Amino acid sequence: MADEGLPVIARFEVHRRSYLAPDGTVLRPLPDFASDMSKLLALYRGMVLTRAFDLKAVSLQRTGRLGTYAVSLGQEAVSVGIASAMREEDVLLPSYRDNGTLLWRGTKMEEILLFWGGDERGNLSSGPAHDFPYCIPVGSQAPQAAGVAYAFKLRKEPRVAVCLFGDGATSKGDVWEAMNFAGVHKLPLLFVANNNQWAISVPLKLQTASQTLAQKAIAAGFIGEQVDGNDVIAVRAAAEEAIAQARAGGGPRLIEALTYRLSDHTTADDAARYRPPEEVQTRWKEEPIARLRAYLVSQKAWGKAQEEELAAECQKEIEAAIERYLASSPRAPETMFDHLYAELPRAYASQRGELSRGSDA
Amino acid sequence: MPELTLVEAINLALARAMEEDANVVVLGEDVGVNGGVFRATVGLQQRFGAERVIDTPLAELLISGLCVGMAAQGLRPVGEIQFMGFLYPCIDQLVNHASRLRNRTQGRLSCPMVLRTPHGGGIRAPEHHSESTEAMLAHIPGLRVVMPSSPERAYGLLLASIRDPDPVVFLEPTRIYRAAKGQVEDTGEALPLDVAFVLRQGRDVTLISWGAVVKETLAAADELAAQSIDAEVIDLATLKPYDEETVVASVTKTGRCVIVHEAARTGGFGAEIAALIAERGLTSLLAPIARVTGYDTVMPLPRLEQRYIPSVARIVAATHKVCEFA
Amino acid sequence: MRQFLLPDLGEGLEEAEIVTWHVNEGDRVVVDQPLVSVETDKAVVEVPSPWSGQIARLFGAKGDLIKVGAPLVEFAEGERGDTGTVVGELGQEEKAHREVAAPAPAPARTLQVLPAVRALARKLDVDLNLVQATGPGGTITRADVERAAKSLAEAGPAEPLRGMRRAMAQRMAAAHTEVVRTTVTDEADIEDWQKGEDVTIRVVRAIAAACRAEPSLNAWYNAEAGERRLIKRVDIGIAVDTEGGLIVPVLRNVGERDARDLRAGLDRLRADAAARSIPPEELRGATITLSNFGMIGGRFANLIVVPPQVAIIGAGRIDQRVLVHNGAPAARRVLPLSLTVDHRVVTGGEAARFLMALKADLERAS
Repeated sequence: MADEGLPVIARFEVHRRSYLAPDGTVLRPLPDFASDMSKLLALYRGMVLTRAFDLKAVSLQRTGRLGTYAVSLGQEAVSVGIASAMREEDVLLPSYRDNGTLLWRGTKMEEILLFWGGDERGNLSSGPAHDFPYCIPVGSQAPQAAGVAYAFKLRKEPRVAVCLFGDGATSKGDVWEAMNFAGVHKLPLLFVANNNQWAISVPLKLQTASQTLAQKAIAAGFIGEQVDGNDVIAVRAAAEEAIAQARAGGGPRLIEALTYRLSDHTTADDAARYRPPEEVQTRWKEEPIARLRAYLVSQKAWGKAQEEELAAECQKEIEAAIERYLASSPRAPETMFDHLYAELPRAYASQRGELSRGSDA
Repeated sequence: MPELTLVEAINLALARAMEEDANVVVLGEDVGVNGGVFRATVGLQQRFGAERVIDTPLAELLISGLCVGMAAQGLRPVGEIQFMGFLYPCIDQLVNHASRLRNRTQGRLSCPMVLRTPHGGGIRAPEHHSESTEAMLAHIPGLRVVMPSSPERAYGLLLASIRDPDPVVFLEPTRIYRAAKGQVEDTGEALPLDVAFVLRQGRDVTLISWGAVVKETLAAADELAAQSIDAEVIDLATLKPYDEETVVASVTKTGRCVIVHEAARTGGFGAEIAALIAERGLTSLLAPIARVTGYDTVMPLPRLEQRYIPSVARIVAATHKVCEFA
Repeated sequence: MRQFLLPDLGEGLEEAEIVTWHVNEGDRVVVDQPLVSVETDKAVVEVPSPWSGQIARLFGAKGDLIKVGAPLVEFAEGERGDTGTVVGELGQEEKAHREVAAPAPAPARTLQVLPAVRALARKLDVDLNLVQATGPGGTITRADVERAAKSLAEAGPAEPLRGMRRAMAQRMAAAHTEVVRTTVTDEADIEDWQKGEDVTIRVVRAIAAACRAEPSLNAWYNAEAGERRLIKRVDIGIAVDTEGGLIVPVLRNVGERDARDLRAGLDRLRADAAARSIPPEELRGATITLSNFGMIGGRFANLIVVPPQVAIIGAGRIDQRVLVHNGAPAARRVLPLSLTVDHRVVTGGEAARFLMALKADLERAS
């Protein structure tokens, strides 16, 4: 520093939250909800179901019965932890790798399969009607989340918008513009940066020079917190606190959930092309399901019988959903026009007619 | 009845819409305290409050994304993009989201938003302030694209756009913001969307136009009348979806057609209309379809801009050629 | 293929029951990644992967008992193919389409007609090819069609050309576009001929004589190759007017045959022509052609040279004319001669020499 006497006018702090070590041992006093074993068991089941469903979805894709699919292997704690802190009347704006969140909030497995299997009806989700569907253009859901949160504020509704995106999204202007606006208007909005360290093949160190993603919130005027994303207790606790604050009018927050993408980017990607298997091997040791299981077992709240039972339940549920999905037939082609506008303009009636008559001309 | 300019008519429609429906929200840069750089939103924040008339940060993408989120939640946002030249960061939200939200959620969510922006050149502005790329937007399934050419139609069409359950890009011809005057009463009556307006009936040739050059087209029709050519003038008004029936009926009647638009020629919206006429009115044609348009160049800076914009003389000359064809 | 055998899980256990698989066949896994949960006496245990690689085969299903040391998982060798995308599927390479450059199109004479005018022409039953266009750029206007309709109403019915007429139309058109015609004329004084002289035979023999004197007119020209063949034998095509139209049978080897033989041959050709029974080979291979149009009427003509020939002789109507003979006007019988040659191949000099030789031979007393 050229002139030592210059006053420091701003500093910042970023806290990191975690409760369970990778091996399941407790690092610090657990939050209140963790003393309710049924809540922890629900979280565990949610993660196991998500992973089992993902696995089955991949095998459907490999056998040509599903299109491109993005698993959330290793990130289940983020999906489930965030979802568990939301109320039904809150609005979720997900990315495309948040099936655990969707499942927790009531979306049926066959609806997820229908969408990735190539049918828009999959987005007619059984989850809350106000939740947004998957968002493919990365980060573009963020300004929309700000719009949703603004509506809540305008109407003085005690509801919160929760916007999920990845580390790559934080490089987009969309996310910055949304955070900036949320800060100006103290919107009831939780931004969750699911930092799985990879944006397809681009590692975090090429994505940003910022030490954390959490601190990007500080530039927008609000708190950013880092959380061990593989510790579902920490994820839930952080989300609960942020959502409560937002609901009470305390403004937005950014949670950076540190985790790792143990899988390929999608079923069409091969991550071995750009990252060393040894790295993935190391990260497996930190994965969220084994971690919580170890804790549950240590609390004598879980054992082999329950594991077996849960695995069987999940399989049964998943198989049934797959059956329903595979039994569904494609929509009639003219339905392409059904939701183009509220009312189909006259100009397009003849095209719709062409499709319904089955002619190509 | 009061005589209003086009921009005053817009202001009137916005106020009316906000009065009638508490869900209508206006947002954009400088729209609040300043009343908009063209004064389109003057007085609104004072009347309806800063919560409903929002001075946003300088972020066009944000403005369009906010509109999508608000609309999905049941508000009726009317976003302003200060000039069409700054609309382009909104293309992602318009094309990837607004236009298809209803479709991709199969009706579960919808997007009743309006994005307003000044359109076209001729105001001696610096670069990037004279854009007319409406053809790009008219290409997008699920969008509506509306462009009034008079204060009356600005009032009625903006009300219709705000009330419409689907997203509308509302393009306001900057050049006639103040130059166009008309009798506009605050009746709250909307004009129909998707419908073209026949501004002048005629037998000999059909002139089709939209936006500011409707003015030149009508002037050309007067000149042609003095030369015994009776021109029918159609203001398309809604470009997407447009009133195919009126266009085809007119050309069937006259057998000759001249399309006039300020936007560049190639891939301009006139090409779509010409294709439609070729498809559905070919056997009525007595002459090739003519287009009088901006050139396939960037709109030049003010010294040359009047040479770019279709003039009355160019429209008259093209019409003569078409009428004398055979 | 590498097989991973169920390892010793400890405590003397010999087998374990599969509870749940955590991977699929085809998955890529890394070292330590959980492959399967198996149940021992005490607990459900996760079995981690010993290697990184791709799972080729899983041995056993849920509920199966696997012995320690038995195969659990088989790993595939080799890399997974590069999909070349992160979403969707890229199709495999198909056979590439061969692109064949189109030959340069022949310039077509297209009709410039607007659809409304075309419809009018159809309605009035006007063939647009017969309409004279007066519109801009050669466009046919409504007025043009209406005018043509009026004219056609006053003309006879359309009659398509068939057979010989059609062939003639095509042949003449082709000749016209190719050949560079030039014509030279003269008269032969045949007052000294015997009475009853066989005119045609006399003429053909004179042509043979002229070919001997000036061989360059008894030739074939191949324009594409730019080659000329002078031909020794003189095969004369004789233009014959029949009911069906013009045909040109060939009188062969005129130079070597006597008059009686030639006459017989000619008669046979005429008879066959009239009976329409001329075999096709009799119509081919003429080296030079004679048109005896004078038998019908007319004196001189600008004739059509039919490729690959380079010359054609026209014999006009024999008449009495007043000429200068031996220094004084006299009434003499004359035979008008026209010689049209293809000036790409035949020079003016050659043509003139040929004509003089022809005339000289004809003017000999019989």
